[in-house]
Amino acid sequence: MTTGEESPIIRTSSRRFAKGLAVIVIIMAIGAGINLGFADFWHKFPPSNQLKIQEVKGGESVVSTGVTREFELKFVESADFRTLGFNAVTGEAEANPPIEVNVGDTITVKVENGGKMPHAFGVVSNPEDPNTIVFKAAFKSASDPIKSGEKGEVTFTPTKEGEYFYICTVPGHSLQGMQGKFIVKKAEGAAGGAVAPAKPTGMSHSFDFAFTESADFRTLGFNAPKGEPNSNPEIRVKAGDSVTINVINNGKMPHAFGIVSDPENPNAIVFNVKIKSADNPILKGQTGSVTFVADKPGHYFYICTVPGHPLQGMQGDFIVE
Amino acid sequence: MGSHNMIEWVYIAAVVAILTWVGADSWVIEKYIDEIPEDAETIKVTAQQWFWTFEHEDGTKEVGELHLKAGKAYRFEVTSKDVIHAFNIPFYTAMIDAVPGRINKVWFAPDQTGEFLIQCREYCGLLHSQMRAKLIVEA
Amino acid sequence: MVLEIRKPRPLWEILFSTHHTDVALLYTVSSLIFLFMGGTLAMVIRSELLFPGPTIINDPSIFNRIFTMHGTDLLFLWLLPFAAGIGNYLIPIMVKYKDMAYPKLNAVAYWMIPPGAALVWLGWADIGWTAYPPYSIIRAPGPAADMWIFGLKILGLSSILSSINFVVTILKCKHPDLPIMKVPIFVWAMLITSFMILAALPTFTASLIMLYTDRLGVSGFFNPAMGGDPIAYQHLFWFTFHPEVYIFFIPAIGMAYELIPKFSRKPLFSYSSGVIALILLGLIGFASWAHHMFSTGLSFIEKTVFMVGTLAAVPMSAMHVFNWIATPWGGRIRFAAPTKWVYGGIALFFTAGAGGVVNTAIPLDFITHDSYWVVGHFHLFVMGTISFIFFGFMYYIFPFMTGRMYSERLASIHFWLMFIGAILTFVTQHILGLFGMPRRVYDYVSDPDLIIMNQIASIGAFMMGTAMATFLANMIHSTMKGKPARMEDPFEIGEQYYDYRRREPHH
Repeated sequence: MTTGEESPIIRTSSRRFAKGLAVIVIIMAIGAGINLGFADFWHKFPPSNQLKIQEVKGGESVVSTGVTREFELKFVESADFRTLGFNAVTGEAEANPPIEVNVGDTITVKVENGGKMPHAFGVVSNPEDPNTIVFKAAFKSASDPIKSGEKGEVTFTPTKEGEYFYICTVPGHSLQGMQGKFIVKKAEGAAGGAVAPAKPTGMSHSFDFAFTESADFRTLGFNAPKGEPNSNPEIRVKAGDSVTINVINNGKMPHAFGIVSDPENPNAIVFNVKIKSADNPILKGQTGSVTFVADKPGHYFYICTVPGHPLQGMQGDFIVE
Repeated sequence: MGSHNMIEWVYIAAVVAILTWVGADSWVIEKYIDEIPEDAETIKVTAQQWFWTFEHEDGTKEVGELHLKAGKAYRFEVTSKDVIHAFNIPFYTAMIDAVPGRINKVWFAPDQTGEFLIQCREYCGLLHSQMRAKLIVEA
Repeated sequence: MVLEIRKPRPLWEILFSTHHTDVALLYTVSSLIFLFMGGTLAMVIRSELLFPGPTIINDPSIFNRIFTMHGTDLLFLWLLPFAAGIGNYLIPIMVKYKDMAYPKLNAVAYWMIPPGAALVWLGWADIGWTAYPPYSIIRAPGPAADMWIFGLKILGLSSILSSINFVVTILKCKHPDLPIMKVPIFVWAMLITSFMILAALPTFTASLIMLYTDRLGVSGFFNPAMGGDPIAYQHLFWFTFHPEVYIFFIPAIGMAYELIPKFSRKPLFSYSSGVIALILLGLIGFASWAHHMFSTGLSFIEKTVFMVGTLAAVPMSAMHVFNWIATPWGGRIRFAAPTKWVYGGIALFFTAGAGGVVNTAIPLDFITHDSYWVVGHFHLFVMGTISFIFFGFMYYIFPFMTGRMYSERLASIHFWLMFIGAILTFVTQHILGLFGMPRRVYDYVSDPDLIIMNQIASIGAFMMGTAMATFLANMIHSTMKGKPARMEDPFEIGEQYYDYRRREPHH
């Protein structure tokens, strides 16, 4: 390619090199600018699969009413297997009895396969679609059914009022008659003793809580780590008082707030009091607040609803007199 | 292959001999470590972000601390509630990953009394460095 | 910016050129930039670890991002692109062809690196360079982790494309009068590396896609809440990344084979031994991946199989070391910077390998896994061996790139500070690991032994930082104002150097 005469070698000059260096430095500066300019954006969102978990849980947590109801349902088939039903073949009087329960009740459904075909049980929002299971109320499924003669049961808590259906979730069986109404009504009255909710007294309180952590992050607490003075103060209000709770996260870990009936159960929320949640928490330095009416007397607990945190010390008494 | 000297063959043979010894010795020792003694007492270890909880055979639960007796064999059944952690008692070189959805086992028999460190040995997020617990071995 | 033939070309023409020497320049310069960026992060990490508790960083999540970026940047943006750069410079020359087989693909493969790097560097994910689920799936915040995944996917694709180019160039474009058993061993090294990349990387690409769909919640491959298995990811990851550590190392082996015979002024001891050892290493490298997973709860048989697979790769490395010592034996060694770096690298390689044999002894791995021993071990490899040989080669190729000579005195300071610093830092970290210090921690137990060792390691690191600053100064100053090199034989070895007239771009 090169013949005879040597091609001249040109070694770079300082100016050309400095120009190249300047290009590099400018690009890096622009990158740093974009990064720092939107500093809180890059780590803002929890993974999408965490947001889905909230949906699957069925939205609001509910107070248990303490009432337990049991129902027995038997899968039956007509002699020619063309008409099906619960307890009796559809068309007959006792077939597919409607079930009425309250939000918060603990429901146990005992099923028995009195037919020859395989069946499965589920409570759904759409009787034509076995995939619209609600309240996790399902026993076995089309791919893993209840065999002829077998029994089983499922226990669940309806969390939302509405008109649902209990069906056999094997495709087609619902249309052949295996469906009945499952009506969930709003709970009235409190658990057990059915004390009527107190009328608002007009008194309002405001409490400030700070999530705090010990230096080794092993002991946590409200206002101070558990064991130190002023940690987890006891709160007393009268039934019917309005309460505002302000929280601030003075620790490094994410936290969330809730008032529950059982300190070991972050889902047993009472008075619908919660600020954020374990999947969507209050991050370090952030604040939140909630206002509610403490209308039912009882001994409740205010906790951090992130799993494990009440155990590490983030719980205190919330007493409504 | 003309320039292959005898010396290279001897050298490679020596290397292979050392490696074989390492492999064989490891096999023997690992066989011993892998087999958990029948009479070992079971301790359930649960890791979660960012602390340890323990459950003894009789149902006693401990948070952040574990009380054991010297001279006894213990089997740890280790799992996690969220992400991968690793259960490690450096002084006794007990080490096994805590994987959610799985129970891993490791055993040891502490022969000394005192307080020892339990730490997390798998990166698990914000406070991995702080995820420690205390092992208290009593006579 | 660098040596030109006939006339100086405008910067944009060099940037968008497809000639192998220009693409090589882009690879080499970018990799050096990323080397300094990752190295700066290392200085920050070692400063933080001078004392237990928060020292200069108050927020542990920032520390977690820093070590993630440090590892990701140095592995994917320094080691791989530098090897690709040197390969691009030399392979066409060594197989006596005019350019790479696919010059435009070559340029495309390079230009995928800036966007991939931008995604990774803008996001600053905190998942560790290994991105183990479930943490990376259910806890790592977005969009940082998602950007990391996409960035790595682009970088992986770039590697695969450049590997295809190397394989075709070497096997199909080699000069017909040049038999394959007579090409320099560096060519063999790049060939085997490229085959390994083609075999190993697709698994990681699949794993990245699975991580991403798991993060979206549409799949549950590694999410126990959806029926998945986090350990499955580790198998897939290490199936790629154990061969990948050989992919990082084999180009350096090739460079050592290039430098040692020349600077010993003696022919290579055994060419066929080198080639066979490389081929066997490339194959057996695929048989040892789960030695990274000994503590995850594998069965006894699984652990034994992988221990044997790991040990089986050691004799090959021993063959290379033998070659490298037997070659200069009885020769007239020319002690310039490249020689020092290569031999320093080989000495540290021996130490790294010895530590590796300890790790592969299963019971001992339970002591060392995920402790600072592992940190010391792999740094002795990636810094002490691979980067050392890369630095040596950088000095060697400097006259070819710029037409000037670097300052030998500064290079000597660079070498000795790095060598002593590397021993101070990485050997100490082995002992730290035996004392139980976990890795990926910004805080450690306030034990006087741990504190003193961490401080020694940090001093070594600061020595290395100073050395690298000397390197940067040497490179910049020598490029601009260095003594013009004698292009036929810049190192006065008496051997032919690379033909600088190749710098003339044909298209």
